[in-house]
Amino acid sequence: MSLQRKKSRVLQTTKKIGELIMVYFSNASDVKAQGKPVAWITVFTPVELLYALDIYPIAPEHFGAMCSARGFIMEYLEEAERSGYSQNLCSYSRCSLGYVLNGMNGLMPPPDLLVTFRNSCDVYVKWWQSLQMHLKAPLFLGETPYVLSSEDLDNYVLDYVVKQLEQLIELAEEKFGSRFDMDRFVDILKLSDKASELWLETLKLRSSKPCPLGGRDSASDIFPLVVMQGTEEAVKFYEELLGEVKEKVSKKIGVIDNERFRLLFDGIWLWHAFDLIKYFENGGAVFVYEPYSEAWAYRLDTSKPLESLAKKILTMGLNVDIDMRIERFLESIKTYHIDGAVLFSNRSCKTWSAPQLVTADILSEKFDTPYLIFEADMADPRQYSEAQIKNRVDAFLEVLGEH
Amino acid sequence: MYIGIDAGASATKAVIVDKKGKIVSYSIVPSGINFKTSSEKALEKALEKATLGLKDVTYTVSTGYGRALVNSKATSSEIVCVSRGVHKLFPSVRTIIDVGGQDSKAVRIEEDGKVSNFVMNDKCAAGTGRFLEVMSNVLGKPINELSVLHFKSSKPVKISSTCTVFAESEVISHISKGSEIADVIAGLHKAIAERIYNMSSRIGFEKDLAFTGGVAKNQGFVDALSKKIGLPPTLPAEPQIICGYGAALAAIKKYEKNLA
Repeated sequence: MSLQRKKSRVLQTTKKIGELIMVYFSNASDVKAQGKPVAWITVFTPVELLYALDIYPIAPEHFGAMCSARGFIMEYLEEAERSGYSQNLCSYSRCSLGYVLNGMNGLMPPPDLLVTFRNSCDVYVKWWQSLQMHLKAPLFLGETPYVLSSEDLDNYVLDYVVKQLEQLIELAEEKFGSRFDMDRFVDILKLSDKASELWLETLKLRSSKPCPLGGRDSASDIFPLVVMQGTEEAVKFYEELLGEVKEKVSKKIGVIDNERFRLLFDGIWLWHAFDLIKYFENGGAVFVYEPYSEAWAYRLDTSKPLESLAKKILTMGLNVDIDMRIERFLESIKTYHIDGAVLFSNRSCKTWSAPQLVTADILSEKFDTPYLIFEADMADPRQYSEAQIKNRVDAFLEVLGEH
Repeated sequence: MYIGIDAGASATKAVIVDKKGKIVSYSIVPSGINFKTSSEKALEKALEKATLGLKDVTYTVSTGYGRALVNSKATSSEIVCVSRGVHKLFPSVRTIIDVGGQDSKAVRIEEDGKVSNFVMNDKCAAGTGRFLEVMSNVLGKPINELSVLHFKSSKPVKISSTCTVFAESEVISHISKGSEIADVIAGLHKAIAERIYNMSSRIGFEKDLAFTGGVAKNQGFVDALSKKIGLPPTLPAEPQIICGYGAALAAIKKYEKNLA
């Protein structure tokens, strides 16, 4: 069954991501050459605010994913390991530290500022502090408390984070002479909101049968929403994508011709093993929903600029209570007509992996949804046992077929 | 005749059944590095034993790691094959623990033999036949003696590491401290049983319980694992061929489906 080769495709718009990434990085070098500030950020930092302050944001996590996908991450991982960083540490963190120790000769220009908000990952603080020790760049450490209820959020948490955004503005004005202009900021937020709106609309179309946009698309297409929120290029990209996906839906063209199973994927993608997604597709299974793809999409209220931006970074999926997270999960099962779930237990990301068993049990109890859990690492190819995982995928698809 | 070929990580098994699913013949050969050669050899041996020839082969299904490299009409995963094989022989079994050369798995099956859940070991070899092979080399005792020595142990040593490489140095350290080989072997069986028990607990141990796979031929291991679980296991006469048997049963089903 799994050996039957089925044709699977990626969207034309997705194919443009590679060029968009290269332009994004070459712009970073240009900015740096002009003497303007570049910030290294963690991926749930409000980049809209940085763009408004004329600080160019680069995310080492995104860089790590890209290095892994393009097959040159080992150089940086090994550099970090040679310095004594343990293989048990997050592979994104090892990649960025290795890049620094290796002399920073690649696509990321050295930072003038380090910014993190501790919202999605517990390692951020110590990781960014380690980077600071190596780089001696100023560090802005944002604290975004865990959101247990929407009452907490509105009562005191939000003000606390808004104040920190104001502090970030002050820091930029002081260090780099940035000028914060509220009108320009709101314009940037409008662009960010538009990109999210377009992307969310695109994702909804994945409920169509056959599914027009698969895992290989969503894994790539997320990039502009991570570091280019608030730019016109991002909006343009998502407009084009939505157009193409709408056309696929109207013509009933799916990712694969013979869609047998519609799956949920939970976790960060395995950047070094995109062919695993294709392997599922060859077996007649298409990914139609991933919490990861929704993680950066947020509808902003531009009448309350700082509050809305603060809310965005506070309510990302890993910073909210597990009940809220599971609720989103369960909803998706119905919305996207999901037959089974694939949960990737990621050695690098304990925050993501820890609640997976609970989630799987709930899926199984409420919807009788079969699931597969496998272990690997998002960026470190050494932690991926291809034959063994594909073997499990075969068994899972066969069981789904019987289900 | 219908053939199931299980091209496993350490051994390749060929099982021949008639159209009613009765085992006519089987063979077990080392897999080596070429599944194509080993599967041809296994089939040849099994046919020879039953004085049959290639012309008698109606349909072949392959399973196991090397299944894609075997000359067969269709493939099926080990999980489904082992369930099919066990269900045909022992319909009351609901939980299967299969330990092979490179992986171990636990499968829950429903009354109709369908798989309801399964777990497999992660990529580490501890908790598989490979672990015992490494240890038998370290101890200088052939694998088939492990079973005999296991029952001579009076106080099994504690092997705390779950890593094959670390466990190897632990074994050496026990021996150098003067531990009896039998106690070390019983300790190793206990360690692998605990690991498999922990992995399988996720899906539970509903009765009846069956052990399959090459490692289930090791009575010492069977003893350690059944004590840990607290249930007497159902053991096929030849636990190593059950997955291949399931593949042969799949061959009947697929052939009949193609005719229909």
